Amino acid sequence: MATVRTREQRRPGRGDGADDSEAANRALGLGIGWTVFSYLISGMAAYGGIGWLVGRAVHVSLLFPIGMVVGLAISVGWIIYRYGKLGDAVYGHGDKRGDDR
Amino acid sequence: MTGDVAAPAVGAGGCHLFSGCGFPAPGLQNFNFKPLFTVGSFNFTKPELVAILCAVIVIGFFWLAFAKPKVIPGRLQNLGELGVVAVRDQILRPSLGSKGDKYLGLLVSLFFFIFLCNLMELIPVIQFPVMSRISFVVPMAATVYVLYLYLGFKNQGAWGYVSNMWPRGVPWPVYIILIPVELLRFFVIQPFTLGIRLFANMFAGHLLLSIFMVATWYLLGLSIGLLFAAGSAVMVLFVFLLELLIDVLQAFIFTTLTAVYIASSLEAQH
Repeated sequence: MATVRTREQRRPGRGDGADDSEAANRALGLGIGWTVFSYLISGMAAYGGIGWLVGRAVHVSLLFPIGMVVGLAISVGWIIYRYGKLGDAVYGHGDKRGDDR
Repeated sequence: MTGDVAAPAVGAGGCHLFSGCGFPAPGLQNFNFKPLFTVGSFNFTKPELVAILCAVIVIGFFWLAFAKPKVIPGRLQNLGELGVVAVRDQILRPSLGSKGDKYLGLLVSLFFFIFLCNLMELIPVIQFPVMSRISFVVPMAATVYVLYLYLGFKNQGAWGYVSNMWPRGVPWPVYIILIPVELLRFFVIQPFTLGIRLFANMFAGHLLLSIFMVATWYLLGLSIGLLFAAGSAVMVLFVFLLELLIDVLQAFIFTTLTAVYIASSLEAQH
């Protein structure tokens, strides 16, 4: 009588720890990559928007580009603070700072 | 390759190098189609037909594969299992773990629907990627957005979900600086980038492929243009293969990000 095996049993090498870890790292990297990109855009948009509103109120149009640059600087600083420790973890040094959601 | 609106100019066959007419450069007109039929004020166009076709193929394939599952799978069931297991092991499990298996149906449907819609740009006669029309991408991104917001509020509570959004372990003045950035990122930019990336890639890919296809035809003739036509034809082949990779990659990225966003809604990540 033929023995019925599941797909995992027919392909014993698939879905083991190494593969899972690699795929998990890829998903994490993808998520972080797009979060970083979102931070860059949202920093510029948020502070650019605030700069535009304030500039409109006080009739100084220069506040819009200044706001965008400030927002970009805040985003870059925050990205380094928040995700910098992931790099430290990979290379095995550095203290723990911020969070790594 | 070109849309129906541009088709007469290119398809007439008279537009070649040194024939007096300029290069019929592909553009936005390649993405506009004459309605196949009209119901009231609603125009039914080719992209809608292709989208329905893709949905029917995905539903039909998985229906046939799993309608009567056998312990020893047949060819179709085997192929269906391969697809489902690939999405489960490469997309779902790495982000959600085994507890996320209930979202497998959603992710498998999303992946194969997007993949097939993208692949349509390489199928002769059809030759149009549905996802290069933003009206198809926005509802999908919006569905994912509503889903992960709903799951976040349901699993973490309204206050818990919002409070978990804020970074931990930073001085309070930094909170004030980051509030507008975090709010905009989470509620606007994140779903925006999810949809725009897919749309932009497919739009640019279709345009690139159209340009080299039209250029090959335009340069074809008994002149020096023949040499350039050959070069352009090589580029068509290269872009074709590149687009094949991008079609899979974009479906994979959209589905993986959906899984990552669902995972962040199911439990707080610090």
